[in-house]
Amino acid sequence: MMQKAGPASVEFRNVTKRYGSVTAVNDISFTIEAGSLVTLLGPSGCGKTTTLRMIAGLEMASEGQILIGGKDVTRLSAADRDVSMVFQSYALFPHMTVLENVAYGPTVKRVPKAQAHDMAREKLAVVGMKGYEDRLPSELSGGQQQRVAVARALVLEPQVLLFDEPLSNLDAKLRRRMREEIRDLQRKLNLTVAYVTHDQEEALAVSDRIIVMSNAVIAQEGAPRQLYEEPADVFVADFIGDANLVEAEIVSVTGDRAEIRLGPVTLSLPSRGMKPGKAKMAIRPESLLIVEAGGPNLLPGTIRKCAYLGNHLDLEIATEAGDFYVTRHGTREIMPEGQMVSLAFADYGVTLVPGG
Amino acid sequence: MSGSTRKIATAFALATTALLTSAAAQAQGTLVLYCSVQEEWCRPMASAFEKETGIKVSMTRKSSGETYAQIKAEASNPRGDVWWGGTGDPHLQAAEEGLTEAYESPKMAELHDWAVRQWKGSQGRTIGIYAGALGFGFNTKQVQSRGIPEPKCWSDLINAKLKDEVQVADPNSSGTSYTMLATLVQLMGEDKAFDYLKALHRNINQYTKSGAAPAKATSLGETTVGITFMHDMVTMVVNGGPVKVVAPCEGTGYEIGSMSIVKGARNLDNAKKFYDWALTPAAQKLAEEAKSYQVPSNKNVVPPPQSPKLADVKLIDYDFAKYGSSAERKRLLSKWDNEVKKLPK
Amino acid sequence: MRPSTRLLFLLALCGFGLLPWYFTEGMGLRSLGWLSGYPFGKGGSGLALGLSGAAPWLLPGGAMLLVAGLAWPKQDEQRAATVLLWAGAIGFTLFFLQGFAITLRGQGIPWLAALFGASGAAQAGMGPGALVTIVGLLLLFCHGLAYRGFCRGDVFTCSMIGLLVLMIGLFIFFPVVTVLKGALIGSAGTIDFGAFLDRFLDSSIWGLGCLTRDVSCGVAWNTLLLAVLCGAITTLLGLASALLILRTGMPAKWLLRALTVLPIITPPFVIGLALILIFGRTGLVSNFMYEWFDVPRTRWIYGLPGVLLAQVLAFAPIAFLVLIGVVQGIAPSLEEASQTLGARRWETFSTVTWPLLRPGIANAFLIGFVESMADFGNPLVLGGNFEVLSTKIFFAVVGAAHNEGQAAVLAMVLLAFTLGAFWLQQRWLGKKSYTTLTGKGDAGLPTPLPRRVSWLASATVIPWVILTVVIYIIILTGGFVKSMGRDYTPTLEHFLTGFRIDFSRGLYFEGAAWDSFFTTVKLAAISAPLTAIVGLLAAYLLKRQTFQGRAALEFSTMLSFAIPGTVLGVAYILAFNVPPIEMTGTGLILVIAFIFRNMPVGVRSGIAGLSQIDKSLDEASATLSARSATTLWRVVLPLLRPALVAALVYSFVRAMTAVSAVIFLVSAEYNLATAYIVGRVEAGEFGLAIAYSSVLIVVMALGIAIIQLGVGERKLGRRTTETAASPAMAGA
Repeated sequence: MMQKAGPASVEFRNVTKRYGSVTAVNDISFTIEAGSLVTLLGPSGCGKTTTLRMIAGLEMASEGQILIGGKDVTRLSAADRDVSMVFQSYALFPHMTVLENVAYGPTVKRVPKAQAHDMAREKLAVVGMKGYEDRLPSELSGGQQQRVAVARALVLEPQVLLFDEPLSNLDAKLRRRMREEIRDLQRKLNLTVAYVTHDQEEALAVSDRIIVMSNAVIAQEGAPRQLYEEPADVFVADFIGDANLVEAEIVSVTGDRAEIRLGPVTLSLPSRGMKPGKAKMAIRPESLLIVEAGGPNLLPGTIRKCAYLGNHLDLEIATEAGDFYVTRHGTREIMPEGQMVSLAFADYGVTLVPGG
Repeated sequence: MSGSTRKIATAFALATTALLTSAAAQAQGTLVLYCSVQEEWCRPMASAFEKETGIKVSMTRKSSGETYAQIKAEASNPRGDVWWGGTGDPHLQAAEEGLTEAYESPKMAELHDWAVRQWKGSQGRTIGIYAGALGFGFNTKQVQSRGIPEPKCWSDLINAKLKDEVQVADPNSSGTSYTMLATLVQLMGEDKAFDYLKALHRNINQYTKSGAAPAKATSLGETTVGITFMHDMVTMVVNGGPVKVVAPCEGTGYEIGSMSIVKGARNLDNAKKFYDWALTPAAQKLAEEAKSYQVPSNKNVVPPPQSPKLADVKLIDYDFAKYGSSAERKRLLSKWDNEVKKLPK
Repeated sequence: MRPSTRLLFLLALCGFGLLPWYFTEGMGLRSLGWLSGYPFGKGGSGLALGLSGAAPWLLPGGAMLLVAGLAWPKQDEQRAATVLLWAGAIGFTLFFLQGFAITLRGQGIPWLAALFGASGAAQAGMGPGALVTIVGLLLLFCHGLAYRGFCRGDVFTCSMIGLLVLMIGLFIFFPVVTVLKGALIGSAGTIDFGAFLDRFLDSSIWGLGCLTRDVSCGVAWNTLLLAVLCGAITTLLGLASALLILRTGMPAKWLLRALTVLPIITPPFVIGLALILIFGRTGLVSNFMYEWFDVPRTRWIYGLPGVLLAQVLAFAPIAFLVLIGVVQGIAPSLEEASQTLGARRWETFSTVTWPLLRPGIANAFLIGFVESMADFGNPLVLGGNFEVLSTKIFFAVVGAAHNEGQAAVLAMVLLAFTLGAFWLQQRWLGKKSYTTLTGKGDAGLPTPLPRRVSWLASATVIPWVILTVVIYIIILTGGFVKSMGRDYTPTLEHFLTGFRIDFSRGLYFEGAAWDSFFTTVKLAAISAPLTAIVGLLAAYLLKRQTFQGRAALEFSTMLSFAIPGTVLGVAYILAFNVPPIEMTGTGLILVIAFIFRNMPVGVRSGIAGLSQIDKSLDEASATLSARSATTLWRVVLPLLRPALVAALVYSFVRAMTAVSAVIFLVSAEYNLATAYIVGRVEAGEFGLAIAYSSVLIVVMALGIAIIQLGVGERKLGRRTTETAASPAMAGA
């Protein structure tokens, strides 16, 4: 009988992947703790899928070391690693029934057929696909195929489970439901999961930690909240959530606080190791509060646009420090174009961005 | 190595052993015969010799050109023992290149002069086993329907009424046709011969690849006249084709079907036995049964009644040594290529 | 070292230590006389012969094998890999060098032989021991590469690539280089570039006289024209039939299916013969036209029209086999997508279906083009004064001129054309994705053809069907009458001559044709599955794996196809008649010739099939801990069934009907049906030739039926029109 290995950690040590002269992944290092869900997030072509495929053994690292559960697997083939993957296209075998698809892993491992089928049925039940065993993949809906793909990946109870943009083919509602299910499953079964997506909302929703990649390197790694509130650079600030990136001036630094001037406004923010002089600032749209004009330390502006979006309003406001994108919750009053307003800064979602 | 690799390897090994096992079972008392006449003649020759001597014959039938090419390719490690049959030129060429072995048979005395001349011309490396005169045949129905007199001479073939009605092989690919080229050169002199060939070119509907093909085409009425060896045409007559065979009135050349022993033959003694036997009347009579109407080289064999009588044919004194040499052949062929074949029709 | 590597090492050790090293005459299991003196003597093992001083030059290579064994206890795979890589490569090279250096007395490479301390020595061709040892060393090297992470660390893939490279090198490159060397050899027997240029620039090859005067054009232009026409027309016919069968409600589809298969199971010459009997000057149609309409009899069939007609009849079915798989594989949802976007049938066809057909079309065209170039039988029978390269090469070798240099030059021209076509095809296909069989199930319904297209397709296919039917009537009746075209008295004489069985002394196969018949069937049955395996495996490696030199490998798999059979035959004799690889006169050389000549079809149809299967299916299998061998067997192969059928059928049929490639390779014991039939045609015995051919047709039809039944259809769970309409499915 197969040994259940339990979740394992994944570690990359200075891993580089080159295709000819193109460097897809450049000297990255990170660790995925056992039992956690880590998302690889980034725009297309940033190297996140290549990284995932290197964990799976579908690509071989050009340099560096990959460890799974502390064991060096850098040169091991995919079949020799205890890793399963859910593909973007689901990659269900079209000539096999649902049951045969899910039982494929165990039968390859020479588990007797009856037992393999039992294992498959069990996992199909876990993903809520009981009763569909004899269907062919072509007879299932997208969401159902997705579940079968997950069941097939789970059946061997791998040390690491990989998801490659698993939800990109589903509609928005289903996507939200499936990502919750994946998260629940991960928690319930205590799995190590690496999850690739380009959708920052999805990443924020499901992850223990997020690794943001850009141009073949890691831009920032951290918990969702950390990434959102303390983006390491302009790219991360812009990619995770929405942000107004503006030019400001650091007047003085005292300890870990910095005095900042933005147009007529003066703010005190964590200095994040920055020196006085010009600096970039990221301001989340929900952190700009529209208040009555005329108060102290406010940024006056004019409404350019206002859009009604059901639960909130989207506004574009022109100020002397530049144009700002602002969201306003808790009101349904559309503000007329040309109206003069003042903007106050909330004590969250306003941060200096290093390396501007 | 995974399971499937092993399976494939095993299958391959098994196939290999199976093939090797049945291959190359050359025990004592065998003979590898390369035969260059038609199958119906080769088979009885092989089995008659087997019966006579108890030597097991492995016979491969291929055209003389193919056999020559094969013997040349195999020269460094010969496989064949005797090469029997086929027009004399490739035999002479093989002799010239030292691919075949000299041998003097005790049966030499029983042979016609032309057969022995072939032997002498090749320093004993090849010998005549049959002769066939060059000629042409015409389809009697076609000639009638065209209302032209029956052709009797080479000169009749350049009649303008036969435009696109004559077929002959390409001398580059066929020994038969090269024989015609050499014959005409010897008969008319080189310049006149080429003038004739240029005139003939207008009447040719097709230069075939195989020398005997015009005989079939004539028999089927695909062409009115076909230039081939006379015995090939005779075969068509015997098979019931509306064909009449003609020995050209001006005179004509002939081929000497030959036999050679391959140099480095692995079964040299058996090769010599076959060589001697093939020159006996008993062996040469097999031709008739195989519907082959060449003239046998042993004087004591009565030629088949259908055979064109060499006595009735005006034969030229064909210079096999000169026109069989590769230098002369290359010269004539390239001259023909440049001066005749390239002409517009 | 992994267990599989250990097993491999032990096998290689057996090869060196136990198996007979050389190939000796009379080797076989029926009599063991050749084993006398074992482990020494003719049938001795490499180790014994090396140690006893009979062949000491075998020892260095053997020593490297032992060195490879040092990796056995190593736990650290990277260090084991280092040992395997060096020992494998050096051992392999040493064995190869000694093989080529020391051959027959007075040959080989003397200075190299001297380095092995074997000046003046001789040895026989390599045998089973050498085969196992050398392949073993190569595979140990490949395992080393896999340990190093090559081929994504997959041992099976690495080994298969190694084997493929070895086989292609040995059985394609080596013989071809041997024969092409001839192009550079002048009349003096030395290398002479002047002679090469003269031959190459000859006006008989490149002349353009036909454009201005009434002479024939150069043979190169003729061949090119014929091949382009043949490729285009066969592709069109194949596509039309595939569309008609799969996308219309045309009646009698089975008839079309059967008729499209018939011509490929027809031996060469036969279609040409039948065409002469129909359209020749005294043929049936010509007679009819002359007697009823006073149309003068002409010889139009001899030349380009006749050859083209015969080739189209013969090769369109191959295009059909390639295209039907592609049409089947197009995901209906793509077409539905187009329709839902408001496209009409015709727009859907021209913007979606057609572009998706492109890989199939490119492959079908390439096959038609190359087949036409390499075709030998039809130009021989019907060419008239229309010369093409293949016949010209044949007669340059075997004709009265015996000009091997010219043959080699012509072969180069032919090769250049074929490779040019291959290159163009690659350019045309570009890098677009044609994947339509993805891991997502597809429940769409195929779009019916637009009316314009189905009319056009019918208009192309119907005349072809009628002509094919007439030809087969001629072929079938031809065997039962005295003399086709002259004497229509019914007779069984031809069949009796060929296939008489005498029951008076038990079962005795007396007919003249039995020998060649049994040999042919046996060799075809052995080589067909091997060809399909090698071809599809090569396709899988080329399409699914990335490795250095992949493009070069793909190119070289096409090479043997591009080489005319005659040249390949001569090349095989020149290359494999002497040690180290000595196998002329055996059945093995025929089987290998068949495999490597027909492999490209397996490769092409495999690649066309694989380009429709989503790569992530393979990867999904790999991450479910299946090794590539398992993936190949359980995921790829079932989805490749149409390609497998095409490869098996085609290689079986080709082996049954090959002429030009094997005419030099047949021997007394291994004579083949086609060689026999050619002899009958030469002798003017059309009756027996046609009778034998019809027997072959029946046998091949049986063979194809067995292959179809054995392999079966792939199930994809796509709804067909009928089931989709049924209430049961409507609820799903």
